[in-house]
Amino acid sequence: MKASGCIIILVVTALSAGCLVMGKNKECQPFDSGELERLVPGRTTASEVSGIFGSPRQVVKMSNGNAYIYKRSVAKGTALWLLIVSLGNYDKQSDQVVFFFDNNDILTHYGASLDADKASYGLPF
Amino acid sequence: MARRIPFQILSKAIAPRAFGALLLIVLGALLSGCVSFQSIRIVEGREIADPGDTLEVGRTTLGQVLSLLGAPDKLVELQGKDLLVYERMVLDEKRLSLGIPVADIWGARIDFSSYGTLIRYDTLALFFSPNGVLQDMVLEKGSIQPFLKVLFTEM
Repeated sequence: MKASGCIIILVVTALSAGCLVMGKNKECQPFDSGELERLVPGRTTASEVSGIFGSPRQVVKMSNGNAYIYKRSVAKGTALWLLIVSLGNYDKQSDQVVFFFDNNDILTHYGASLDADKASYGLPF
Repeated sequence: MARRIPFQILSKAIAPRAFGALLLIVLGALLSGCVSFQSIRIVEGREIADPGDTLEVGRTTLGQVLSLLGAPDKLVELQGKDLLVYERMVLDEKRLSLGIPVADIWGARIDFSSYGTLIRYDTLALFFSPNGVLQDMVLEKGSIQPFLKVLFTEM
């Protein structure tokens, strides 16, 4: 085989050796963050919150009551192989809602961070 | 009938830069399996911004913090105080491998590889009194530290 033929085969092999993988993981807890508007600090009870949002992922004892934590997350992974270089990126973001209750199980505060849809595919730089 | 172009004429006809790129691709193809570089980045959590003057010890309340920063990532009761932690994890790994697969013909394998993994955290910790007033706060921005410098610094 002539040299030009060898080079063409090598170039075609090199270019076709690249590979791209994209994946997605989800930790799902089916709560509706739109229901937050129904809550009234000072009036809503812990059982009402459980009735609306379901069972919390975690309950934490605080100095003046309890906190219920609801959490779900989305992770997006990208991997790229190009000849001798391989690049991987994994981005995990969460939706999290925390409710604070006093010792009488009345809602005092709540906070929500809704970032799960910000998880993105990409490269590690 | 198609006319065949000799290789010497072809190599002179293409620009030197294109020929260099071609050479790199050919070398890459020949070296794949022997040399490899790997870069991995894992990020968990949102960006932790410096709250600056927006939070004031002794005055800012739990409700204000929750509306400003959202739900914390961790919650702990610590000696009568409530600790809220906002955290972001960034993992960086770089790996370089050099190996010549001659085990079948020589019996030994020439292999050199090195790697470094660095996990950095951005953490904002807020301490509240039982009546929900901010008592103390600590911010640590680990992700701004340079990869190689941190990796090669003794603990």
